[in-house]
Amino acid sequence: MTREQRLATVGFSGPTAVAVREKLGQGLALAALGGFRGLAANVLMLQAHGAWERQQWIRVRSNLELATLLQPRVALFWDLASWHLAWNAAVAAEQYGGEENETRRRIEARRWVEAGRELLERGTRAVPEKAVLFQRLGDLYWQRLGDYRAAADCYREALAKGDAPAYLERFVGYALERAGDPAGALEYFRELRRSMGSSPDPARRPDLVDREIEKLERQTTGSSGDRRR
Amino acid sequence: MRESWRRIRAVAANTFLEAVRQKVFAVLLLFAVVLLGGANYFAEFSFQEQFKFLKDLGYATISLTGLLVGLLGAAQLIPAEIERRTILTALCRPLRRWEFVAGKYLGLVSLLGVMLAIMGTVFWFVLRWKEAQLIGVEGGEAAAVQAIQAEARDPRLWQAFALIAAKLFVVCGLAVFFSTLATSTTFVVAMTLMVYLIGHLQSVAREQWLESGEKANWLLQAFLAGVALTVPDFTLYALIDEIVAGNVVRWRSTLEVLAYSAAYVGVLLAAAAWLFEARDL
Repeated sequence: MTREQRLATVGFSGPTAVAVREKLGQGLALAALGGFRGLAANVLMLQAHGAWERQQWIRVRSNLELATLLQPRVALFWDLASWHLAWNAAVAAEQYGGEENETRRRIEARRWVEAGRELLERGTRAVPEKAVLFQRLGDLYWQRLGDYRAAADCYREALAKGDAPAYLERFVGYALERAGDPAGALEYFRELRRSMGSSPDPARRPDLVDREIEKLERQTTGSSGDRRR
Repeated sequence: MRESWRRIRAVAANTFLEAVRQKVFAVLLLFAVVLLGGANYFAEFSFQEQFKFLKDLGYATISLTGLLVGLLGAAQLIPAEIERRTILTALCRPLRRWEFVAGKYLGLVSLLGVMLAIMGTVFWFVLRWKEAQLIGVEGGEAAAVQAIQAEARDPRLWQAFALIAAKLFVVCGLAVFFSTLATSTTFVVAMTLMVYLIGHLQSVAREQWLESGEKANWLLQAFLAGVALTVPDFTLYALIDEIVAGNVVRWRSTLEVLAYSAAYVGVLLAAAAWLFEARDL
């Protein structure tokens, strides 16, 4: 396979990007072709789990990429794969004792985070109707890349799907605030509070939204007061 | 018509009883039950993962057992009767050949139906047991309990079960079709398995080829069209994977696949009856 063919087939072109048939092995390939894709994908998940316990990150990535290839419509696989890459593998790279240079460790960690991000973005295209992967992408932008505005956009996208958890509504505002846009966050929280109506569902925690509005009003009023002085 | 139906039923009942007496089906059923019950050893994963493993393993066990039952059952249907010469005794009665084929098929799918019902019941119990186990582990948190119950009691699992049954009935139809041509059980098993694999591959291969943008000559196109028409497209049953993944699958899509299965079986049995009519015994 050429590099371009690998990229087109399996979505990445690293050293583990050999043909699916070669990576799957005969047994799993037969299972996949015989209509037992779910089983083959689960076996790969189990293998990835074992590789995670042994901290074999390339193998973790390879097995999980294969699992998503076999069953691209299972959000769980994309979610788990991104968690292993962007969190576990990245942290392991940051803390790797075999590399003394901190910059090199951080670059390697960043590569793993980007791999997780790229994989999650593919996942959102494969399972576009569910909120979970958009939420996870938002978490990745927030926790691993520090891009709070992108996180807010992802959370909005997740909320638009209709099956996002109720607390995610507030996270859009929190993300905007962390992105250095308290005015935008305030406007968002006010809009959110208005949408709850006069008898809000307690699960949507109107009390927390009110608290955020008060806090942001003090913050924005206080800062404009400072500027006038 | 009523007389025809009576004769078909008699052949079906006889086929069913003969099959039930054979130990191989009891062994297969036992194997399936043990595997279904043993699908409980993924306790270190999240409950979503555990349910996915359980459902995939459960459906795969049911599919594989059903496939083996269909292959072994159908392989012995007509070739074995020809070898033992018992078919001559049956056909010298006022029994038409197409009634014989239809009765054999009905007997086989009855056996399969009973086995599917047993395996389905065991699978249901395993799911409920897993549900109770996980609720015990997760404690009293309402959201978690609700999510676990939603996984265990998902009504769409019935859709998946219906799709598996339909797929296996198509495989039985294929096996009965080949058994009207064959003189040996090996031939029936081998041909049915080959068509089963081609049925899974053909749509994937067709998509790959279409996406590549290559232009084929008319002969190749005609060949591929022939394969697409004659070989059943087993990737249609991939709706089962969608259901296990927790994705929404409308009953309309399931009913379309069931209708396709029924139509395919009808064509197979008609072809089998026609071939058997002309066969020298």
